[in-house]
Amino acid sequence: MFQGFPEIKEALMSNKMQAAFMVAPMAIALRAQGVPVKIVYLGHRYGSALVVQKDGPVHSVSDLRGRIIAIPSRFSDERLIVYRAFAANGMDAKKDARMVEMSPADVAGALAAKAIDAFSMGEPYPSQAEIVGFGRVLFHARQYWPDYISCVLVVRQDVIDRRPEAVQTLVDGIARSGLWLEEKDLARKHRLHAADFVGRFYYHQDPKMLRWALTNPIDRVKYEPLSPRRADFETIVNLMVATGVLDHSIPFEDFVDTRFAEGAHTMTAWKYEAGDDRAK
Amino acid sequence: MRKIILALGAWIVAITAAHSVLNVNWQVLMNDRLPEATRKLNVGYIPVT
Repeated sequence: MFQGFPEIKEALMSNKMQAAFMVAPMAIALRAQGVPVKIVYLGHRYGSALVVQKDGPVHSVSDLRGRIIAIPSRFSDERLIVYRAFAANGMDAKKDARMVEMSPADVAGALAAKAIDAFSMGEPYPSQAEIVGFGRVLFHARQYWPDYISCVLVVRQDVIDRRPEAVQTLVDGIARSGLWLEEKDLARKHRLHAADFVGRFYYHQDPKMLRWALTNPIDRVKYEPLSPRRADFETIVNLMVATGVLDHSIPFEDFVDTRFAEGAHTMTAWKYEAGDDRAK
Repeated sequence: MRKIILALGAWIVAITAAHSVLNVNWQVLMNDRLPEATRKLNVGYIPVT
């Protein structure tokens, strides 16, 4: 587990990690710089929000003009969503917003201390701000970006070439977990259970926060469909070029390998309920 | 003097054992030494969606 995307990027490039979840624009920028990695699957859809001080003066996107907004990275969808929201409200984020990069774990404290006016970040930080009571969601990513993507699964090219079966096993597992979290009539129950074990054993966060993020409402974060789609990524590349973090457009095939998503098409949800010995 | 050396030795052994149990991730260390074909992939993430 890491605390910021730049550290993940370094670990992936140095082969300490063979795969990693990172924000999509960072993966695209790495590939554009010639780093041999590929996006093979999505981590989720939606799950990012712009949060402002609960009792602060910001009540609409236009109130954000000139305010300090924290983002996880220049190469993040959380930055791009600010551009989209500003454009939809007749503003230009390049001129009208002051964006600062901040580790996701630090934004809650910064907003509570009023060091920033807002943050654009993935869950569970918007949930944390709402639960603790110092923040208010101004908008969720879905309001300005249908089928929004944030984290994607990136794998080193040498691993794809030498161990495709291991990559397929990883993607299949993510696909099955996503279907399990979206399972009809059981989605809420599964999400509550996931919040508990992920909070305790993986994220080391209060499960209450994750319960909120995964169920309030139930589609706050979506785990299906997770196949990388050309149109979604072309939108991201175009926005990256337009906002100056990518100096040239790159074709979808250069940074995405869809064969593992295609291989996972027939997957079904894990057969697993709380108390089972193992998932099948 | 002998007692001091024995106590010191026991202390070092105890601390080393505790360190190796509490702070060393043996699964990761052993995984790095397996042949590539059987090695588990290390997947990085941050605690955020």
